[in-house]
Amino acid sequence: MSDIAAGLFGVLTLGCSLGVVFSRNVIMSAFYLILSFFGLAALYVLIQAPFLAVIQVLIYTGAIVVLFVFVVMLIDQDKLLEVVTGKTLVLTAGVLAWSLGLILLRALNHSPMAVPVSGQLPTLRTISLSLFTEYLWPFEVLSVFMLVIIVGVFVLARDKVNA
Amino acid sequence: MTVSFLTNWVHYLVAALFSVGLLGFLIRKNALVILMSIELMLNAVNLYVAKVSLALHSGAGLVLVVFAITVAAAEVAVGLAIILNLYRAKRSVDVDMFTGLKG
Repeated sequence: MSDIAAGLFGVLTLGCSLGVVFSRNVIMSAFYLILSFFGLAALYVLIQAPFLAVIQVLIYTGAIVVLFVFVVMLIDQDKLLEVVTGKTLVLTAGVLAWSLGLILLRALNHSPMAVPVSGQLPTLRTISLSLFTEYLWPFEVLSVFMLVIIVGVFVLARDKVNA
Repeated sequence: MTVSFLTNWVHYLVAALFSVGLLGFLIRKNALVILMSIELMLNAVNLYVAKVSLALHSGAGLVLVVFAITVAAAEVAVGLAIILNLYRAKRSVDVDMFTGLKG
């Protein structure tokens, strides 16, 4: 049952990623990206990480793709129609990506996987506890980092001419 | 070494997803789609980190994925601001238009 679901959502995720790469319209790419992220969220549930599934839907589909769509809105539609990339480039890139995928697969399949030791699977409670005890310092650094990013993006995206 | 497909389906998915992201990064000329492809690659790696962490019955990898997603969100915000500036400069988001640093 879980294998069938994994196959289904895996195919959905992969198919939608191909849609992101190959669709001519950028707004269609953004929508395929949403579907792909939803598929990934389902896969997170299937590998027993429901917490990450929620984070994935909230941040990726809720924030990041919305940001993408906003920028697509700010840019003229006719400027988004791109020049068709050269055939040799597509072929070379295809061969490169294909071989990298095979190398990656071989590396993943042959890497020694440590046998699970004792202990429970991490739950939302244990993850949250470790965020506020063991990983408190990186957590706080990350929050300051987010503040810096907010200010930085504001400065970067500001309209200098009309300001 | 024989590897069953069903036990290692995450490996196949991660490899395929990363390759698709790389392909998009290489063949597309639209800066927005290039950024989306980078996100696809990031997601593939996140999935694998989460899988390994759960296989070890440890929460450390899950915390790492949460941090990675946060940084990815920041990266997208900065990337989109840069793309917006590129559009203001040349009225285009085609990366072939921006060859000023080519020398």
